[in-house]
Amino acid sequence: MSALVPLTARRWPLLLAGLLVLAVGCADLVAGRSLDVRDVWQVFGGGGDPAARHIVLRLRLPRALVALAAGASLGLAGMILQSALRNPLAGPEVTGVTPGAVLGAVTATGLGLAGWRSPAAVVIAACIGGFAGAGLLWLLTGREKSDPARTAVHGVLVSAVLTGLTAMVLLVAPGELGSVVQWLVGSTEGRVWEHWVLLWPWASVWAIAAWIMAGPLTLLRCGDEQAAAAGLATGRARAAALGCAVALTAGAVSAVGALGFVGLLVPHLAFAVFGADLRRALPGAALLGAAVVTGADAGAQWLSRALAGALDMDRLSVPTGALTTCVGAALLLAVARRGTGPE
Amino acid sequence: MKRRIAAAGGLLTAAVLCALSLGTPYVPLLDLPAALGGDGLAGLVVTELRVPRLVLALVAGACLGAAGLVLQEALRNPLAVPEMLGVSSGAALGVAAPLVLAVSVPAAVQPLLAIGGAALGGVLTLLAAGFGRSPSAVLLTGAAVAAALQAALLVLMVLADQLDLQLIYRYLLGSLSARTWQDVTGLWPWLAAAVPALVLCAPVLSVLRLGDDDAQALGVRVRRARFAALAIAVLLIAPVVAVCGPVAWVGFLAPHMARRLDPGGDAVRWLPWSAVCGALVVACADLPARLALAPVETPVGAWTALLGVPAGVALMKRRAAMA
Repeated sequence: MSALVPLTARRWPLLLAGLLVLAVGCADLVAGRSLDVRDVWQVFGGGGDPAARHIVLRLRLPRALVALAAGASLGLAGMILQSALRNPLAGPEVTGVTPGAVLGAVTATGLGLAGWRSPAAVVIAACIGGFAGAGLLWLLTGREKSDPARTAVHGVLVSAVLTGLTAMVLLVAPGELGSVVQWLVGSTEGRVWEHWVLLWPWASVWAIAAWIMAGPLTLLRCGDEQAAAAGLATGRARAAALGCAVALTAGAVSAVGALGFVGLLVPHLAFAVFGADLRRALPGAALLGAAVVTGADAGAQWLSRALAGALDMDRLSVPTGALTTCVGAALLLAVARRGTGPE
Repeated sequence: MKRRIAAAGGLLTAAVLCALSLGTPYVPLLDLPAALGGDGLAGLVVTELRVPRLVLALVAGACLGAAGLVLQEALRNPLAVPEMLGVSSGAALGVAAPLVLAVSVPAAVQPLLAIGGAALGGVLTLLAAGFGRSPSAVLLTGAAVAAALQAALLVLMVLADQLDLQLIYRYLLGSLSARTWQDVTGLWPWLAAAVPALVLCAPVLSVLRLGDDDAQALGVRVRRARFAALAIAVLLIAPVVAVCGPVAWVGFLAPHMARRLDPGGDAVRWLPWSAVCGALVVACADLPARLALAPVETPVGAWTALLGVPAGVALMKRRAAMA
């Protein structure tokens, strides 16, 4: 089918998505308090006063970049999970991966194994936790893996158990609570170059791995019999895909926390825009995820500014994750209604 | 039947005695009668701290257990529990919002706020899922609604002061720490309203189990019945949440325990068992909450979530295997 479509027609959605990411990134750079668009422009032109330079180059730029990379990772992870499990309702949030990763990161921080000094340890711990969460769901669903709605519901149960564990850890090490709450909801507050330096190599490696797996994943989406008939070792391909998804999620969680619903809903959007061929849909999902998270970040900053002015509360800052979760929940209602249909 | 009642009674007695005697100071069983009379330090600790806490645990557990059964039967889904439908999160939001925003609320109004929040969450879910014609759609919708409400709660937590944060987090998980007679007495009027309604609606629940079409043929207005069931569940859950927070997953585990005890029963027979099991679960879970990591108290909700979810799922699976 794709051979019949002229080349230009295939490229423009991706190009548009790329442009969208750029636009949203710029919006994120100018969305914060205390500087307006002109100041930011001056800084990038090489001028501006030292304070403005510091704010833009040391605070806003890394924040926007981290949001982009994390969003891309989550979008990719969701796309991989949905394709590998053939479940339109699979996403890192409802398959136990995200809560597991949060638990791992929180536990490592609470035990003093990891902290701001050693962000690498947080990523490793988040990875282990993510795999544990996914494994737990695997055990729980047993033979009912084919029913998307059931799997999603079981995922919620797994998340409940993991949340209980996280709570235990937090109450044993109460000193961490303030800094960890940001993580539980997902936030890009105070992300600096250190986070970016750690995130981008990790995200790039796994994104390339995902790109390599686009072909097998497309086959997996068609169903196990067809994939096996085409000569694919389905079990191994699925395991590799899941590993890749968990690694991507863990990287994103350790950088920005548990952003709700990005990994669940971005793939739906990507499939709608880019079609079902994963060679195009995967990069599309990465771009859309980046655009969504960065856009949510810009929106959250703008909203914080508006609310702080209205309510006269200086410390008010809306976490990015709150925005993605609220919008995502509304969209999920639509997807669930469409997916299950009237019975 | 007699054996079951004896076993439940024995377990409850054991839990009650443990709750009254363990902790700091340790009150030996032989000294309990004297302590209940209220002499000395031990007497003060037992009558003013441990007894109200125990009563609250039992009442909260019974309410949550009964509410869980009502919801599961009305929506014909073993997973339809307050946590999954946005009812618990909604109630918690109603209570936590004034706390964080530093709006002082008289204690009598708190249950009303909780009821408002719980009703908001539940009604939103029911409406979005088309009144529960399809059991699985309700859960997905509920999960989405609950997630949105959770996000709102987390925003509140981010806004809170460091000092408030501990308190709020503990509350959101469900905790019985530092509850006194005052909190317990506030519950009675609500219970007086909810219990008769519960007894009246139990027979209708058995009919709803047959499926929408059959129930309609028997003259039950299905939508209204579901709405009434949700209203009763909200009435049972919200006051409890207002006092000790949404103790997680009791409404999931207790009904499944009741079904396991009485496999051939129906909603009417399960209801009292479900309440008893709920009371037992919360009373038992409060022991490790108080003692496991002493002197730090853990929230009872964390324990019920950790132990309740796997146990409930195991019971559910066995039941499905038997059916």
